[in-house]
Amino acid sequence: MILLSFFAHKYALSQDEGGEASLKAAFIYNFTKYIEWEGADNSGDFIIGIVGSSSISGPLEKIAQTNNVKGRRILIRYYNSTDAIGFSHILFIPRNQSSSLPVILEKTAKGTLTVSEEPGYAKMGSAFNFIIKNDKLKFEANLNAIYAANVKVSSQLLKLAILID
Amino acid sequence: MINLRNISIQNKLVLIQVLTSVFVLAIFFTGFIMIDIKDYKERKVKSIQSIAKVLAANNVSTIQFQDNEAAKDILSELQNVAPDIVRAVITDTDGNTFAQFSKTKADSSWFDLGNKTFAFEGRHLYVTNPIVNAENELAGHVYIDCELSELEDMKSKKFGIAGISLVVALGCGFLIAFIIQTYVSKRLLFLVEKMKEASETNNYRLVIKDDGKDEIGILIKVYNDLMYQVNESQQRKDEFIGIASHELKTPLTSIKGYIELLNEMETRQPQQIFIQKTKESTAKLEHLIADLLDVSRINSGQLQLNIEEFKMDELIDESIDSISAGIRTDHTIIRNGTFNDLTVKGDRQRIEQVLINLLSNAVKYSPPRSDIFVSSTIKDEQLIVEIKDFGNGIPEEDKEKIFERFYRARNTSVHISGFGLGLYICSDIIKRHNGKIWVESGAKGSSFFFSLPTIKKSIPI
Repeated sequence: MILLSFFAHKYALSQDEGGEASLKAAFIYNFTKYIEWEGADNSGDFIIGIVGSSSISGPLEKIAQTNNVKGRRILIRYYNSTDAIGFSHILFIPRNQSSSLPVILEKTAKGTLTVSEEPGYAKMGSAFNFIIKNDKLKFEANLNAIYAANVKVSSQLLKLAILID
Repeated sequence: MINLRNISIQNKLVLIQVLTSVFVLAIFFTGFIMIDIKDYKERKVKSIQSIAKVLAANNVSTIQFQDNEAAKDILSELQNVAPDIVRAVITDTDGNTFAQFSKTKADSSWFDLGNKTFAFEGRHLYVTNPIVNAENELAGHVYIDCELSELEDMKSKKFGIAGISLVVALGCGFLIAFIIQTYVSKRLLFLVEKMKEASETNNYRLVIKDDGKDEIGILIKVYNDLMYQVNESQQRKDEFIGIASHELKTPLTSIKGYIELLNEMETRQPQQIFIQKTKESTAKLEHLIADLLDVSRINSGQLQLNIEEFKMDELIDESIDSISAGIRTDHTIIRNGTFNDLTVKGDRQRIEQVLINLLSNAVKYSPPRSDIFVSSTIKDEQLIVEIKDFGNGIPEEDKEKIFERFYRARNTSVHISGFGLGLYICSDIIKRHNGKIWVESGAKGSSFFFSLPTIKKSIPI
C-alpha cells in the first residue's frame, strides 16, 4: 500500500501577493488552452496585453519565455493609457485602474478576451474576472462578453467558472 | 472401502450413470462459472477503466486551475454512474491528493498497483489512469476503488443454478440408469432365476430366449449350449439306468427262481442257512433294482398311477405289519392317534411303497429298542401321515436335499446301504398325488410327514 498525503490547504491561495500574481499568470496562460480565437488572426504571435502595470507581469513574462500557445510565440504588451490599447488576444485589466472598465472595453477590439480582477467587473462586461473565494482563486465568466469577443471557450473551462449574466 | 464387486450390476449401472453425469456437469459448470467470472471481471475492468479515462480527461482543467471543489463534484457524480465505486481519488504529479470521493470513511491507505493499470484484491478492483493534458504532459492520476458486490451475487446465483441442475441431472441419471438396467440386470436376474429353476427341478431342457446380441446374450447362449450338454448327459445317464435296471432284473429273476427251487429241495444244514442268506441278499438286490427301475420310470415319465379308492388306516396297518414281520431288531412300531376311517383316492400300491420306505428308514436310523410312532390326522382337508422316530435327526442343511436323487447323508455314524433313491421315489409318488412330503427334525429324532388331499380334492380318475 502506498500512502497518499493529504494537504488540504496546498491548493488554498498563499497569502502573499507574489503567489497570487503568479497563479493568475498561470491561469491566464491556461485559459489559452481552452479557448479558440475564431475571429482573429491566428498566424502571428499570441499577444497578451496588460493595461497599465501589474504584479502579474513578472510571472507572465517568465511563462512567455518558456511556453507558447499552439506553437505561437507569446508576446506581452503593456498599454499605459486607454488610448494606447491595441489588438491583443487576451487583455488583462489589473485592479486599481485610473480608467473605468467601460472606457477600456470601448477601446477593446473584437476578438479580444478581457480578463479583470475587480469584484463585479464580470457583470460589467469583462469576459473573465478573477475573484478570491474561500481563500482560493476562482474566476467568473460573462457568457455575453465571451460571445461578443467572438471566441470559443471550452466547456471544460466554463464548468470551473462562476457564470455571470 | 466399498468393494465394487459386491455392488449389484444394477447399482453399478446407476452409479456409473450418476457419477458420470455429476462429474461431467461439475466440470462443465465450474468451467462456465469461471468463464463467466472472468468475463464479468474483464467487463468490469473495461468499464471502470473507461470511467477512469473520462475522469482523467475531465480533470485536466480542474488540476490546471487548481479547482479541487469542481474535481470533487465530478467525482461525486460517480455515485449515479457507477454505484459500486466506493472510492475515487485524483492526485497531482507529486502523488498528493487533489480531490477525493469516498463512500466509506476516508482512508489514506491505497492498494499499491505498482506498474499495473488495474488489480483485483479481495472483493475490490483497483484501477488507475494518468491525467494527461493537451501537451501530453502528466498532470496527475485518477485512482478508482470499485467493490465487486455483483460478483458475489453472481457467484451465489450461478452456483445455485449449478446445484439445481446437478440435482435434476442426478434424477435424470437415476431414471436413465433404471431404464437401461432393465436391459442388463433384468436379463441377468432372469438368467439366474432360470438357472435356479433348472437346479431345483433338474429340468435342463429349459431354453432361455433372449434376442440380445450383447455380452448377456452371449452368456445366455453359452448357458443354453451348456444346458443342452447337461441335458444330453443326463439323458444318457437315465437311459443307462433304465437299460441297466432292466438288464439286471432278468438274470435276477432267474436267480430268484432257482434259489426258490433249491430252498424246497435242500433241507440239510448248513446248506439251508446259506440258501436263506442268499435269499435275503437277493431280496435286497431286487429291492435296489426295483428302486432303479422306478427312478428310470420317473425320469422317462412312465411311472403310471393306478388310481383307486382305499382306506388309509387299513393301508397303514398293513404296512406296519409287513415291516414288523421283517424286523430283526427290537423296535416297536406303535400306531398312534385317532383312526379316521378315511377313504383316499390314489395308487394303493405306491402309497404303500412310500409307507414301507419311510417305516424302514425309521427302523434303519433308530437306535435299538426305541419306538416308532405312526399317526394320521386331518388338517385343512388334507390327510397327514406322520412317521416319528427317535434317531439322531437330520441336520438343517440336509432337510431339503434328502428328497433329491442319489443323495446320501454324509455325516452319519451308521453305515446305511442303498442308492439314496428311496426318498426321491417317495417324494415323486406323493407329488403325483398332489400331496406334499416333508421332514421335521430335532436332536430327539425326526418326523417324516406326507399329506394327501382327501377325497373331495383328490385327483380325478
